[in-house]
Formats: sequence, structure tokens, C-alpha cells
Amino acid sequence: MSNVQSNHIRKAVEQRNRRPLPQKFLDWIRDNPEGGIFIMFIVAQTAAIVFGLLFPEQFRYLLPANFNVVLKSIAPLGIMALGVGILMIAGEFDLSVGALYSFTAIVCATLTNNLMGDINAENASALAPFIGMFVALGIGSLAGLVHAFVTLKFNIPSFITTLGAMLIWKGGTLLYHGARALRFKPTEPFATIFGGNVPLFNEYSIHASMIWFLIFCVVFYYLLHHHRLGNHFYAVGGNRNAAVAIGIDPARTKYIAFAIAGFMATLSGIVAATRVGSIQPGGGLGMELQSIAACVIGGLALNGGRGSILGILLGTALVFTIQDVLLLLQAPAFYFEMFVGTMIVIAVIMNTAIRRGKA
Amino acid sequence: MASLQHPKPTDHLAADAPTAGLKPTGTPLYEARAVTKKYGSFVALDRMNFYIGHNEVVGLLGDNGAGKSTLVKMMSGINPPTSGEIFVNGKPAQFNSRADSEAAGIETIYQDIALVDSMSITRNIFMGREITKRFGFMDHKKMEDVAIEILGSAVQISGIDDPRKEVGFLSGGQKQAVAIARAVHFKRNILLLDEPTSALSVRETEHLLAYVRDLKKDGTSSVLVTHNLYHAFMVCDRFVVMSHGTKVFEANKKDTTIEEVTDHVIRT
Repeated sequence: MSNVQSNHIRKAVEQRNRRPLPQKFLDWIRDNPEGGIFIMFIVAQTAAIVFGLLFPEQFRYLLPANFNVVLKSIAPLGIMALGVGILMIAGEFDLSVGALYSFTAIVCATLTNNLMGDINAENASALAPFIGMFVALGIGSLAGLVHAFVTLKFNIPSFITTLGAMLIWKGGTLLYHGARALRFKPTEPFATIFGGNVPLFNEYSIHASMIWFLIFCVVFYYLLHHHRLGNHFYAVGGNRNAAVAIGIDPARTKYIAFAIAGFMATLSGIVAATRVGSIQPGGGLGMELQSIAACVIGGLALNGGRGSILGILLGTALVFTIQDVLLLLQAPAFYFEMFVGTMIVIAVIMNTAIRRGKA
Repeated sequence: MASLQHPKPTDHLAADAPTAGLKPTGTPLYEARAVTKKYGSFVALDRMNFYIGHNEVVGLLGDNGAGKSTLVKMMSGINPPTSGEIFVNGKPAQFNSRADSEAAGIETIYQDIALVDSMSITRNIFMGREITKRFGFMDHKKMEDVAIEILGSAVQISGIDDPRKEVGFLSGGQKQAVAIARAVHFKRNILLLDEPTSALSVRETEHLLAYVRDLKKDGTSSVLVTHNLYHAFMVCDRFVVMSHGTKVFEANKKDTTIEEVTDHVIRT
């Protein structure tokens, strides 16, 4: 098939493909919301590294201890933000992920401990933590499906459904377990798979939770950007009526997105619990807003249909870089919140400007 | 009704025909009999009879709010009728979802365009009908090749040279052209065009109307919904005028004049 009337398009496409690599890169930065965040991330990293080299005593950014801790702490929020972000692209919110994070982690730990999955238990079972995890992941996904059912069946904003769900899960956690902390020291090989360290060089190492985060980044990158289903997420989130008119079932698509959000919130809770060794019933509260903030900073549109996995990754990483720098400078904790607050607003202004500039 | 044409031997009216109109000759591609669509107490379609024959272009005319778009949405499956019967190639059919109309080979160009602004042209064209390799992963290369091909064919779209461009950055006419290119690519038997020329330039409009005529030769029938009677007379073989959710006039082109059709659109 060759259509002469398409030749001018082919020529233009070929011309664009022949651009030198730096030019392609610059155009990408200019045309994508992730581009601005990428620049901000590089600037923040470069500045931190330069200061770390210049003043190694006062600003310990490059010390192994700091490097390892930052990588560890990114993962739980990052894993949660992946699920929240995909749901946002499909045009819905989940405010209950923080409460679900605590609830499902407690379910996992209770089951593990009851099935002799504690590392100090007599006849410790290697299988128990995995059973606990699969049950918890099942509950998390199911919770997502329930949120979807209520939202879609009664046609109400997911903001409201999941605001209610947040309070229900939070209360449910206290009802089921109470307010005390719960020990979670699972047996091997679970402890290593989700809480081990992979040494890189010298004393630098990368925590298992970070590897899981990166694995899920790759998985969701292929799902979102290269799989049919990902295309449906964008379509349903971008223009629901158009998606219906063309034959995509928005309900089915949103059920899947809600389930992913619940699943990822659960995984995030389990990974964090394995790292810390115990679970605080209120530990996840506030994370729902942090993960939405990370997504928005990464260029996801609040009304859906826009965003990328790279954006979610960069958004999360940028938030943590700034948190780390402030901690190293011994700034009080509220500086961090003020900073993230400012960044959300700047990110949205930038993204809006990019879009307006191109139109 | 005095306005009706004298029935010909081939298209005589059945005695129990509920409303005005012609009787299809042979088995039509698509036929709706006495379809009614109610929204609460509001009756958008009232026992409407409508058919699309082989190799013909039907002009669906009428003032705003006459029910033209409701009928189009019903034929495209996204707006199931409250009551009435639908036949595809003479066989009874249910039109409850887009999948049903797709199975009948119907494609629609919607008045509100039905594109997603935040997605690229290529992704919009293949939305819901992605070309995939194994396990549902999309074949981006192939989709882009086909997108380039069809952007050049259906309507010669002014100024589009990048299939990766976001649809939100296109002009109104360009968007409409993308929607047309998409429908034309996927159509099999019937193409429904709901106000397709409202945002097109004169040149693009001429091109589209010529294309609809060409489609007829290839065996694809079309329904053209328009306010522009001049356009309708250029391409249509038969005219159906609607008012208040029902058919008030129907005639073959050879049996009527632009003045008569205009009169029915204005008067009813």
C-alpha cells in the first residue's frame, strides 16, 4: 500500500526522525511535562552532588549511609504512587490508599505470625509470609474493586467514595487490630526478597524495596505505554464519551485501574513493613496525598488522560531528593511540607504553560 | 398527506405503515421499524421508520432538535431504542452497544467528534481497535504507517504532517478530518456522518462529499446528516426529513426538488 497523498506526511516524519539526538532530546524536554521535572531533578541532583563534594563534612549527601537510606525510603511511596497514578490517568482518584496500606499490612503480618511465619517462631514456616502477602494483596485488589463498584454503580465522584473508604479502612484497622504496633519479622526467604540489600560497591547498596519499585516501573511502563489496556486508560480518562462512542467499556477499564491502585497500596505497605520490622496502624495516613502530589509534580493531569510512568518515577524521586537535602541541612520538618506545597503549584503552572504554548 | 410522492409500483406503502415514507425495495442493509426513544417522559424518537439500502446515500435532514442525532446514536449502538425493531440484512438484531453496530459494519463520524485531546493522532485513530502483537501489546510502527496512509486518503487534511501530534493541538477542521479518516478506515457496510462538514474548509468539504460518492461505488452506503441542503443534493439519492422525533417527508432525489425539501424542513 502506498498512497501518494501521504507522501508529504512520510517526508515530514522521516525528517523528524533524522533530527540529531541532542535536538530530539531538547524537543522532548520542551514538549513533555516530564521534561521540566527531568531538568529540575537533574539540577537538584547536580547541586546536591557538587555541594556534597565541596563540603563532605557539613553536607553528607554522598556518604553511603545517606545514599542507602534515600533509596530505601523512596520505594514505598513510589510503589503506591504508581497505582495512584494509573488510576489518575484513567480519570479517578483513590484517597483510601494510605489507610489501605496500613490495614492490609496488618492483615499480612497477623496471618504471617499466626501461621508461624515469624523468624523467631518454633518450627518457623518459610511459606507463611507469602501466604500472608497473597491474602493481603487479594484484599487490597478486592478493596479497589469495591471502590470502583460503588463509584460506577451509583455514578458518584471517586473522590467521595474513597474519602469515605479512607475513614472506613482507618476505623477498620483499629477495630481489627487496635492502636498498638505490630511486629513483622518474616522468615527467609521472604525477608531477603522484600527486605534484603544488594551491594553495589564499597558500602553503597540498593534495597530490595527499590528493586521492586523499579521492576513495577518497567511492568507498568509496558502496560501503560505499549499495551492495549494502557491506551484504554488514557482514552477513558481523557474523554469518557469518546471512549464509549468508539466501543471501549469505561467501567471495565476503571475496575482494573482501581484494582491496580489497591494492589499497589498493599504491596507498598508490605514492603515498608518488611523494611521497618513493625507496623504502626496509623503509618500510612497522609501517604495518599503525598502520592497524588508526587504524581502531579511528575506531570499527571488531575482530570485524567495525561501522564507517564517516567513522570511518576521522577516526581517521587524529586520529592525525596528535596526531603533528603532538607534533612541533611537539619531544617525543621515543616520546611519539607512547605517545599512540596510550593512545588505542586509550580509543577502545575509549568505543565499548563507547556500545553498552552503548543496549542 | 398531500406532500407525499405518489407511490410507485416498486415502493408502494403498506396499509399499516405507521408514518410517512417509502417502502424499501429489496432487503435493506439496515432497517429500523417503529423505533421509539424516550428520555424519561420526553420522546426523542416517535415510532420512526428508517432504512438504508445497498449502494445509496441517504440525506437525513431536519431542524435542530428534530431527533437526527438521536437516530444516528441509535444506529451506532451507543443509544439503544426504548422500543421498536431493528433488522440488519433482513435479520432481527439488537443494538445495545457499540460492539453490535461494529458487528453490523457501521462506522460513525459524530457531531461532537469523539476524539481524546490528550492522545496522539495515531492513538486516537486506533483507540479501542489497536493493532497488537502478542499478548495485546501494541504494534506502534504498523499503527503509525497505517495512520499516515489514511490521513492522506479520506480527506486531504490541511497542515497535518505528524501522526504523533496530540489531537488537542489541532484546529477544529483538522480534528474533524481525523475523525473522518478514522471512520472511513474502519467502515465496512455503512458510514454515518453526523454534521461532518461543520468545521471543514470549502476544499475539504468538496473532497469529503466526492469521497462519499466514491464509497457508494465501492458498495458502502452512507447516511449524511446535514443542515446544508445544497450539500445534501450534491450527494444524496434519497432524503428523509425529520421533525419532533418522527419522519415527515421522504422522497427519492429524482422525484423531488431542492425547493420541496427545503419547504418541508422549514415548515414542519
